[in-house]
Amino acid sequence: MSNYTEKERLLRVLHKESVDRPPVICTGGMMNAAIVEIMKKTGHTLPEAHLDAQRMADLALDIHEYTGFENIGIPFCMTVEAELLGSPVDHGTLECEPKIASEIFPSLTQVEFRDIDQLVHSGRINVVVDAAHELARRRPDVPIVASLTGPVSTAASIVDPLTFYKELRKHPADAHRVLEYVTDLLAAFADRLLDGQGASAIAIGDPSATGELLGPKIFEEYAVRYINKLADRVHAKGAPFIVHICGDVKRVKPQLVSIRADALSTDAMISLPALKAEYPHITTMGNLSTFALQWNQAEKIAKMTRNLVADGIDIISPACGLSTSTHLESIQAMTRTVKEAAPVPQP
Amino acid sequence: MTIQAEQLHEQLATAVVELDEDRTKELAHQAVDFGLDAWQAVELGLVAGMDRAGKLFDQEEYFIPELLLASDAMYAGLEILRPHIPIDTSAERKSKVVIGVIEGDTHDIGKNLVRIMLDVGGFEVIDLGRDVPPQTFVDKAKEIDADIIAIASLMTTTMDGMAEVVRILEREGIRERVKVIVGGAPVSQGFATKIGADGYASRAPAAVVLAKKLVSEKAAA
Repeated sequence: MSNYTEKERLLRVLHKESVDRPPVICTGGMMNAAIVEIMKKTGHTLPEAHLDAQRMADLALDIHEYTGFENIGIPFCMTVEAELLGSPVDHGTLECEPKIASEIFPSLTQVEFRDIDQLVHSGRINVVVDAAHELARRRPDVPIVASLTGPVSTAASIVDPLTFYKELRKHPADAHRVLEYVTDLLAAFADRLLDGQGASAIAIGDPSATGELLGPKIFEEYAVRYINKLADRVHAKGAPFIVHICGDVKRVKPQLVSIRADALSTDAMISLPALKAEYPHITTMGNLSTFALQWNQAEKIAKMTRNLVADGIDIISPACGLSTSTHLESIQAMTRTVKEAAPVPQP
Repeated sequence: MTIQAEQLHEQLATAVVELDEDRTKELAHQAVDFGLDAWQAVELGLVAGMDRAGKLFDQEEYFIPELLLASDAMYAGLEILRPHIPIDTSAERKSKVVIGVIEGDTHDIGKNLVRIMLDVGGFEVIDLGRDVPPQTFVDKAKEIDADIIAIASLMTTTMDGMAEVVRILEREGIRERVKVIVGGAPVSQGFATKIGADGYASRAPAAVVLAKKLVSEKAAA
């Protein structure tokens, strides 16, 4: 029997303290488990829950209860920040997550800078902040993970991506100005989530900032630099910081492990034990293939999950965004397997 | 070919691979001023340079920003040289590709790279953009008698739309008329096989090799 609450266990792992077994979580944001099957059961549905704090909290609680994930993760999309910064967003449907309809600025050189204090108190940031505080009140024993969009991905959601990637090289001064601006907003958003009794941890996903897309030099100059700036702000509030980086990281390993994350999550193709063997200081999180979660039988999913636990992954979680058509039974097979796992031997 | 032409082709290729758009334009104007064969300047200069950039991308020396800047340089040169290419040189029927990002997904960097590389590889590419419904791929392919439909997805959540394109082609009885290729971060060969696509490529240059192979198979069939 375990003596830890879900919140204690996750926070202990993020603080590099010993635990009985790894927690199994799903951060929200890009990696959310708002599957159609749950929403049809409970009637707390998307897209409405993207737009209203009470509904967002209700759906997040449903997901926690049905899936067995040992956290509550909000929001359920990656468009909150870009929408505030001006990009029109299509809020999607029950099955389909929100997306950026069009990036508002044609170029990094044309970004309009607005007042961060005002921005951070408007739009759907209020929805997410209110939901985090409501959830923390209702479930003090469960860690509330608030997921933000990474700085590079946010910037690439307000500037036409094709131009954006070129201008990272062509107009570095403008690029840094925009990344600073975006990071300031994200940091202010994180502050609001953490202030009072709110989120227990901040997670970010930065899918537009992979080593494969950017290469090591630009990855370091823009992704690592601004993710670390955000990390420092979150740490200054005494909260842990979880980072998910998509894609193959083999070309950017030294840069990747210089990210000041309390847990580092990667895509399914990465061997986390190998990464940890090479860089023992990192806390690993991951990385059950979401393709497997969608298509495989529960038995196979349980086996894959057991392997992750046996490999000593510190936090078990999906490796990427889940399909909204993933079966609840498959997710439950994953979470149940972790909870039944033999306790980690104490050093 | 004159030494002067050879030198200029090499300089054009170098300017493209070095991502130098201004230099490429300058050299393209020189080629026109010297009365060089514009078609050769494109093929042996601009396209050769883009091929080199593609190889560097494959070797992971270049990444997305570099490949995009090389293509900008190439297209800038092309714009200057194109009016000087005799019409009949390019009259041969090019194989046609309909490309797009599947519905629900608005991440189009990968698709844009493949479009550029297919264009460089001699295909006529019709770009449907992003967030494209499955039926639109099929309708466009029918309309222009396309050889290939190329579908991209960057999200696990939208991959079923790719399978839907194949299903529509089957339902309409035209599955044999057009090859379907798929790509994008969450896509794999296993997934391509599972949904009955004709091919999968993990990187943009490989997509061109795949497209050429499928077209030649189709011609032989």
